[in-house]
Amino acid sequence: MPEPSAALLQGTLDVLILKALALEPMHGLGISRRIAQVTNGTFQVKPGSLFPALHRMEEAGWLSAVWGESENRRRAKFYRLTSAGRRQLKEQTEQWVRISSAMAIALGTP
Amino acid sequence: MPFSQRLKSLWRNLARKQRVEADLDAEIRSYREMLEDEKIRAGASPAVARREALLELGGAEQLKEGVRDIRMGAGLEAFGTELRQSLRGLRRNPGLSLVVVGILALAMGASTAVFSIFQSALLKPLPFRDSDRVVELAETRLARGMDQVAFSQANFWDVRAQNRSFEEVAAFHYDEANLTGDGPAERVTAAGVTAGFFRTLGVSPVLGRDFSYDEEHGPPNLPGWNGASVVILGNKFWKTRYAADPNILGKTLRLSDRNYTVVGVLPPGEPWIDRQVYLPFGYRPNPDRSSWEYFVIGRLKRGTTLEAARADLQQIARVLARDYPKDDTGIGFRVDPSSAWIAGNTTRRALCVLLGAVVFFLLIACLNIANLLLSRGMARQREIAVRTALGAGRAQLVRLVMMESFLLSGCGAVLGILLAYAVVHTVRTLEVLHIPRLADASLNPWVLSFAALVAVLTGLLSGLAPALQTPSTSLATALREGDRQTGTRRHGRLRAVLVTLEVALSFLLLVGAGLLMRSFSQLMTVNHGFQTENRLLFSLSMPGPYWQKGVGKRFLDRFFERLKAEPDVIAAGAVSTRPVEGDADTGMGIDSVAQRADQRPPWAGWRIVTPGYFRAVGLPLVRGRLFDEADQAVWQVKGQPVPQRHVILSDRLAKRIFPNADPIGQHVLLWKGPQGGMEAEVVGVVGDCRERGLASGPSATAYIPYGPVALTGEFVIHTRDHPLAFAPVLRSIIAGLDSNLPISDVRSFEEVMERSVAPQRFNATLLAVFSGLALLLATVGIYGVLSYAMTRRTPEIGLRMALGASRGNILRMTLGQGLRPALVGIVLGAFGAGWLSRYMTALLFGVKPFDLQTYAAVAALLIITAAVACYLPGRRAMGTDPALALRAE
Repeated sequence: MPEPSAALLQGTLDVLILKALALEPMHGLGISRRIAQVTNGTFQVKPGSLFPALHRMEEAGWLSAVWGESENRRRAKFYRLTSAGRRQLKEQTEQWVRISSAMAIALGTP
Repeated sequence: MPFSQRLKSLWRNLARKQRVEADLDAEIRSYREMLEDEKIRAGASPAVARREALLELGGAEQLKEGVRDIRMGAGLEAFGTELRQSLRGLRRNPGLSLVVVGILALAMGASTAVFSIFQSALLKPLPFRDSDRVVELAETRLARGMDQVAFSQANFWDVRAQNRSFEEVAAFHYDEANLTGDGPAERVTAAGVTAGFFRTLGVSPVLGRDFSYDEEHGPPNLPGWNGASVVILGNKFWKTRYAADPNILGKTLRLSDRNYTVVGVLPPGEPWIDRQVYLPFGYRPNPDRSSWEYFVIGRLKRGTTLEAARADLQQIARVLARDYPKDDTGIGFRVDPSSAWIAGNTTRRALCVLLGAVVFFLLIACLNIANLLLSRGMARQREIAVRTALGAGRAQLVRLVMMESFLLSGCGAVLGILLAYAVVHTVRTLEVLHIPRLADASLNPWVLSFAALVAVLTGLLSGLAPALQTPSTSLATALREGDRQTGTRRHGRLRAVLVTLEVALSFLLLVGAGLLMRSFSQLMTVNHGFQTENRLLFSLSMPGPYWQKGVGKRFLDRFFERLKAEPDVIAAGAVSTRPVEGDADTGMGIDSVAQRADQRPPWAGWRIVTPGYFRAVGLPLVRGRLFDEADQAVWQVKGQPVPQRHVILSDRLAKRIFPNADPIGQHVLLWKGPQGGMEAEVVGVVGDCRERGLASGPSATAYIPYGPVALTGEFVIHTRDHPLAFAPVLRSIIAGLDSNLPISDVRSFEEVMERSVAPQRFNATLLAVFSGLALLLATVGIYGVLSYAMTRRTPEIGLRMALGASRGNILRMTLGQGLRPALVGIVLGAFGAGWLSRYMTALLFGVKPFDLQTYAAVAALLIITAAVACYLPGRRAMGTDPALALRAE
């Protein structure tokens, strides 16, 4: 994946992680795989980006974490959305929709 | 992000660090294992899976760093680590750190102490309500050359009644009283004030009440006043004499044989509200218009400007000049803001000079420390190179150096504040220094803020030079050459520049100190006209009854008779104002009878003297004769014929009035005004003396004899032995004549002279101390720079010696290098001193600011000190073994 600017990456990553957790709690690897899946392979999130993002959002209060058992009976740290996180997801989704439609219009016209 | 959440995270990260780290560790491990499982399920072998998983993970440490960096409190942790590193760095060089902290403590302590005194004296506002509306009024007689004289009582009442610009105008009259009945008789300083005085000033009593407008009394010395009598006490008097008794209200004090009831106590307000007791006086019919005695203040109406008030008073002046031509011809008024009361020009100047000196000293200390830190920085080249190799950015290294500098200045500041506290509390008690509000100087928040600011600036300044030098050599070079003090030429040059600045600033300080010291020595050796050895001075405060029916004169005559009988007494006399120390300076116009009336008459001080005064105080007779018992006071006594008026002039005054004739036998007009004056015959001329203080020139004085209504309260006794040894005998003599007469201010004349120059001595001493320390620091600086430079050039010296240079050549080379920054500094300093020293003119006595002798002496001193500083490095360089030097390459 080409490296966009750090700020763009952070914003994108945040909302993708929140979206990935919208349905059910997951551990770090699962989040990474889910994001790759829903974006058709466009975003491959490396651990170097994932871990700081997860911890940042946990300290911000958007995620909460608890140790549990993975599908292969491994101990793993599961993250899930808090209510604040859900609010964030909704806000950021709306923001993205606005931005992307604006960009589409701007870039669509010659 | 909610704040409480932040705090929780912060707390967890700092306090439960181990648990957090362990958790992260486990999480990363779990991720890796799950990744492995994934790959194994996809078909890879366990070994391949493990390797691929590790590659994908990208390094556990990096991951952990990535997480740590974004954690709450990451900045704080990093700061803490850097702080610990700085502390370690400082601890590794304990000698250096201690020296630096010591120098800083001294410099910051001194500057904090001086600022504390400065702030208390000059920066604090006056302790009055709305003091910007409080003004001082005075009369003027510009046509006669008098631009500020006290008010006469009648003019005061008229100005008070007719003005339109003031809310309130009030008057103040210096006085004295004898406090009797409650222990031994004590002379107290007093003041007569109009009822609205304190309201005009803007102070309210801390106990009791202010005067009310219907209280009318007379000054205690004048006979015949019989009214209800109230008194307000000054704060210090209440605290020292009555131990701040809260029940003081209603107590009766017996002042000068009249009873007064205490109705209030004032707040502290030294040095402006410093009389011990205040008595009210009010309007009496036919007030005097000719005697200038009253100090007048006013409170401007809101919105009225100073200019408007001046115009208003000018109008009143015209009316008064028209209505009272005898006394008020040519009268004018002046209005001055109360801010002028804060300090006189000389005091202001002196304090500014002191503050400037201590700031220079601080700068020198900073330069010195920068030098020391630079030298240490160069010795740490290898350490810095290693840090850089490990990933420290330039910013981080600069931060490290600055942090060390700030730590040093912080420690120095803390110690400095302790030092300042000690100094301030010692100096506070020295009221001989005549620094206003010195007793109030303290380490208040303003002063502490100043100290903090100084600490920050010092840290910045000291750390800047070494900080900017990191890292200047390439990594490879530094690692290769290690700690050998090679460095670059740029380092050496920077240090030389710092030393040059140090020397220049030291020059300034030394010149300042030199000028003040020369000034002081001139002051001490000036011919003041008096003989001060074995002279005892004391004051007797004569109460009201002494001024009636010749009681006072009889007392004086009997007193001098008793003294004549004492074997220890050579001569004794008395005068109306204490020489040198006296603060009541009485003056008048005096001129020859034959002079034209329209020319401005010379102004002279006048003193009442007893016949023995001149001998007692050592003034020589130049012409004519001294007074004897036959000479009477110039003021007519009621019921007696007009006296034969005689006057003795001081030499300068006699030459001024009679430049071409023998003054003896000539007639002069005393208190010469537009309506003439009092005619008197000149019977003698005595030597000049500096009655108003050593720094003022010889004063023009007219002496008139004592009499029943011309009493003298300041006594001089010429004793055979040590003057103070006579004091107990003196007290018993006076007690024998009148036990209720208080004696005060018993001092030897020599002590009086010393006290009068105490401020100058203080300034000179302080500046000498600062400049001495600065010289020491500059010496150390020069030594350090030269030592470093010479060590750097050791191989070169070895080469030169191998090629045939003699030891003398090497020594010359060393001295040349060492003295060069010093010489440049001296030249710079000389220019700076030439430019700045004019600011000190007001403080100098008998010395010009561009005194060549002083400048030359300072330059010589600095050159000699620089040469001394170069001695050790020079000797070392001379002793270089060429073989060793070359081999060490």
